[in-house]
Amino acid sequence: MSNEVVATPSRPDMDGYQKQGSGMQVLLNGLIAGMTMSVMALAFTLVYLPTRVFHVALGATYTIAPFIAWTCLGAGWSWPLAVTLATLTSVLLSLACEWVNHWPLEQKNASPSAHLVSSLGIYILVVQATALKWGNDPKVLRIGLDSVCSFWGMVLTGAQVTQAAGSIIVLACFYAWLGFSNIGLQLRGMADNPVEMALRGYNVRRLRLMAFALAGALGAVSSLTVSFDLGFDPHGGLQALLLAVVAMIIGGRSSFLGPVIAGALLGVIRSEVVWFLSARWQEAVTFLLLALFLLFKPHGILGRKGRVEADS
Amino acid sequence: MNYLLHLLIYLDIYIIVALSLNIVVGYCGLLTLAHAGYFAVGSYAYALLTLKLGWGFLPSVAAAAILSGTLSLAVSLPAWRLREDFFVMASLSVQALIFSAINNWSKPGEPVGTLANLTNGPYGVPGVPRPDIMGSVFDTIGSVATISLVLAFLNLLVGWALLKSPWGRVLQAMRDDELAARGLGKNVRRLKVQAFAVACGMVAVAGALYASYVNYVDASLSSLDHSILMLSMVIVGGVGNFRGPVVGAAVLIAIPEIMRLLQIPDTMAAEIRLMAYGLLLIVMMHLRPQGLAGSYRME
Repeated sequence: MSNEVVATPSRPDMDGYQKQGSGMQVLLNGLIAGMTMSVMALAFTLVYLPTRVFHVALGATYTIAPFIAWTCLGAGWSWPLAVTLATLTSVLLSLACEWVNHWPLEQKNASPSAHLVSSLGIYILVVQATALKWGNDPKVLRIGLDSVCSFWGMVLTGAQVTQAAGSIIVLACFYAWLGFSNIGLQLRGMADNPVEMALRGYNVRRLRLMAFALAGALGAVSSLTVSFDLGFDPHGGLQALLLAVVAMIIGGRSSFLGPVIAGALLGVIRSEVVWFLSARWQEAVTFLLLALFLLFKPHGILGRKGRVEADS
Repeated sequence: MNYLLHLLIYLDIYIIVALSLNIVVGYCGLLTLAHAGYFAVGSYAYALLTLKLGWGFLPSVAAAAILSGTLSLAVSLPAWRLREDFFVMASLSVQALIFSAINNWSKPGEPVGTLANLTNGPYGVPGVPRPDIMGSVFDTIGSVATISLVLAFLNLLVGWALLKSPWGRVLQAMRDDELAARGLGKNVRRLKVQAFAVACGMVAVAGALYASYVNYVDASLSSLDHSILMLSMVIVGGVGNFRGPVVGAAVLIAIPEIMRLLQIPDTMAAEIRLMAYGLLLIVMMHLRPQGLAGSYRME
């Protein structure tokens, strides 16, 4: 749970290509890693915009999913069943955060800090329970060597194709649902002004639960595709969550699209940092970017202009 | 007896930490995650000044506090504009930058403490000397405990004098209603810079004390985990007065020791301790948001 863990695009399989490969290969690797960040950033934004809850425990749903899948696969279950159960567990965990923690706090009219701190508490609790149950050592979901396909002089592993395809399908389904369904419209309305939605008689409680459930599912998708490629341990959740938050702030926190674009951008920038500098400066560059955005462009790339202090 | 003295030293160190965090959280109303970074800045400054330049305890501690106080501009300037979650994220980015700098400012083969290998990266700086005041070395655990007790008391006194003064009252006014404080002609920007400088200077003193007692510093001192531990202290104990942070530091230092008494196996102890911290954070937010002994609720 600390930022000592260097995660995502410092891919072990990239080193060989880096020495002889092209800049395009680095760009593609970064873009694919960025897509998984986009899904996670969307998951975070999905809760943040309608509820204004800083869902730190989303990191816990990210942590738990691959462990459930790993246990199911170990027990001889098929892939689809294992992935479904892992996703369901994440959804239930995310829903439990709303049932047990955020809704009661909301009814007490608690401050955003109280939501953040208690959510951090849930994250610590779940991650440590996971470490207690399954141990701290890294694990892998995939067995054996990965398949490789190449086109236009670039090489993609099977796991990367899964990441890209999984992320694109999930994002496409989500935007179609958000844009064309009635509930999607309600969610957008609530993201715009939660108080107004409640005053107009919409069932805010149900919409909140839906946001938390969807965030859990998206978190599980992001987590499972990354774990399939790079392996997993109990402490990667906070790292993924922080990147998602950085993507949300850079992308602009008033739209559902900004964080996804920023996630992909962040993936590319992080892999370019590995290519031009060194993997050890990834975190520094990421957070420097965040600091610069917070100071000079706090509404982000796609966000509506306005002073941060005015609406916080 | 040595065990009790060891606990006393740790308690003193974390009382200073919690008191300094109280200024930011309790009197400015801002949650910061960068505090461990400034703790580490203090420890490294002390370690390198004593090891490389041969400075004594008091000048090294003073220099560590001044350095950390100056670097506090990195969090106090964003605090001019950002509040709530966004300030937390800004402070987190400062923590990540300090951690990265400490963890990466190294070059194999170069001697530790030179410009090329300032922090020795993840290997840390070993052999930090024990406190040395006016030529007399405090190398027994009892003497270190005395120094830490005196330092904790001094910090308590300084904090008390500052926060009970008109300066402390303006700080509270700013926390409760920044716009009104500005309307009354108070320079809230300068106040924030001053408050963060004092808090970061104090936490650097705690860091220097830690380095001189443990004789070793490494990058994990500036980790996010450490910041969360510090924040847990003031959240559990409470802020806005002087009892709260002291109670918080005592409770969080006591938890691992209670677990030792309960004879929980070592393999599970770390996880169960952190689970207890997590549970405490949730329970406190629901049942007692002002902390066990605090007087300010973060609203």
